[in-house]
Amino acid sequence: MTEKILTKDKQKEFLSRLIKVYQVFAPVEKEGNLLFSQINTPEELAEEYRNTKLPPKELFFPHSEALFRFRKGQVIEESPNEAERVIFGMRPCDAKSLTLLDMVFNTEGFKDPYFIARREKTTVISIACAQPQITCFCTSFGGSPVSEEGSDILLFDLGENYLVKSITPKGQQLIDSLGGLLTDAQKSDLKKRDELIKTALAEMKSEIPTEGLKEKLEGMFDSPIWEKIHLKCLGCGICTYLCPTCHCFDIVDEAVDSEGKRVRNWDSCMYPQFTIQASGLNPRLSNKERLRQRMMHKFNYSVSNYGQTFCVGCGRCIRNCPVNLDIREIVKLISGKQEAGRSFQ
Amino acid sequence: MTNPYQPHLAKITRIIDENKARDLKTFELAFCDSQQAERFSFVCGQFAQVSVLGAGEAPFGIASSPTDQGFLQFTVKRYPTGTVTTALHNCQEGDLIGVRGPYGNGYPMQLLEGSNVMIVGGGFAFTTLKSLTNYILHPDNRGRFGELTVLSAARDPGEMIYKYVLKKWSERDDIRLILTIDKEAEGWKEKVGFAAPVLKQIDPSSKNAVAVVCGPAIMIKTCVAVLLELGFAADRILTSLEMRMKCGIGMCGRCNIGDKYVCRDGPVFTYQQLQEMPKEY
Repeated sequence: MTEKILTKDKQKEFLSRLIKVYQVFAPVEKEGNLLFSQINTPEELAEEYRNTKLPPKELFFPHSEALFRFRKGQVIEESPNEAERVIFGMRPCDAKSLTLLDMVFNTEGFKDPYFIARREKTTVISIACAQPQITCFCTSFGGSPVSEEGSDILLFDLGENYLVKSITPKGQQLIDSLGGLLTDAQKSDLKKRDELIKTALAEMKSEIPTEGLKEKLEGMFDSPIWEKIHLKCLGCGICTYLCPTCHCFDIVDEAVDSEGKRVRNWDSCMYPQFTIQASGLNPRLSNKERLRQRMMHKFNYSVSNYGQTFCVGCGRCIRNCPVNLDIREIVKLISGKQEAGRSFQ
Repeated sequence: MTNPYQPHLAKITRIIDENKARDLKTFELAFCDSQQAERFSFVCGQFAQVSVLGAGEAPFGIASSPTDQGFLQFTVKRYPTGTVTTALHNCQEGDLIGVRGPYGNGYPMQLLEGSNVMIVGGGFAFTTLKSLTNYILHPDNRGRFGELTVLSAARDPGEMIYKYVLKKWSERDDIRLILTIDKEAEGWKEKVGFAAPVLKQIDPSSKNAVAVVCGPAIMIKTCVAVLLELGFAADRILTSLEMRMKCGIGMCGRCNIGDKYVCRDGPVFTYQQLQEMPKEY
């Protein structure tokens, strides 16, 4: 696929042209938080940022959505009728998370029509990270600050220009539609890109021991480490809320009399109600079982089921945990490499 | 793309009160759309999501047999905290409810066919076992299975469900039916005692046999111990598990035991599989 140059003085025109054709979502500063929002003018895009507060999962799998409506005993279909969309400015870790969610919602046996329709109608334009945050650890789980995985187009910020690389036919199509706005990349641009990659990788300071993690966890269901880890956890669920790969959901009816809708809401394995049965039986009684489930699901069960660890190393759960429970420290503890006494004693 | 979350409307054609406590009802349903009735093809042991529009949906094992033509059955226990079970119990004959499915693996017919089958059920967990027994007893299928022994255990005579079905079975000579209740009761002429000791008394041969056990956790545990003692191999003892479920299709992430989703990889597991799974159920 081709590599092009978008000069920064043309970035606004680039976005304006996209806005004419697509619904464009991009990181926008809102009440002190950086969030993916639909933009109607290029000026709305946040100037400089590391990553958004919330992951992009809600653009494909909304926090709350109606699966269908019903009135007087009849089911009324809710067709996911989305416009063609572009998400601009995603980070590579988040783009990778979309490929993981694909494995959950688009299976051989069952297809989630709501998620799939949104995926199909979306072109993802990511921007490689030049300066990872101290809580970033994507490289520990096979990602990279410059990874192409999950993106249709990847941009490299070369200072005055963006190097624009199309990754998929969908991305190429978008680039082709922009005609003369982009110019061909020169050798010197590619050289700058390579330097950026080198710097970005060197900036990734956080490396955690993940080799053989799945296998280590096989025998650790009854390990005493869970007793240690959970004591600190409040069970607030913010880690699951902000995780780009957490996808557990609840289905409930919202109705007045005979009219209403069946709604899918995000749910969290950190909540006691998550597994409680009508009989009152709850197989995961305390935070210990729930936190173990979260770790096992990410680092063991998902590897069995999808061949992938369900963590992209974005660090949101670390930055936002009210008690500074650091998933990297848990992984270190599992690996037996955690320095004694640091976080859990 | 078919929408797996969309329920299909079915009419309640019959409601059967199953027990004296009146918290167990069997709902007999017919799909409103005859094509859907055709499409809903299942194997014994599978379940479906049953919903009352406005109250929500919950998973229930299918109590009718694939050989039953024109209707589906679900037996539902009403729990005071169960929104859906209570709403279902408030339904009348003629009401419309939603059904989607079938889901799960069902009983492994390849393993069961050609074997002697020992079925043990306790309380209202007998639902999919009724389906299986009726399936085996159907003239089209009976020849493919060996000897059939069914043990149904209940707390007291009033809690013994499917009496009208048990009566029919007891009149046949190609099924050995044993009924037991926990304690002596007036007028009760069958066995008395918990399922496990009665099972030991029956002493079913493990030779070329498969056992299927469904019931409360303690009953499964004690009956499996007896079966192992009798020489049943761990991979020839089957049970069906229940967990809280929402989607039924392996996406919502809540019914897992280890890396297995009860909705997708189960609900039927062999005892051997259970031994390899974490004890989180």
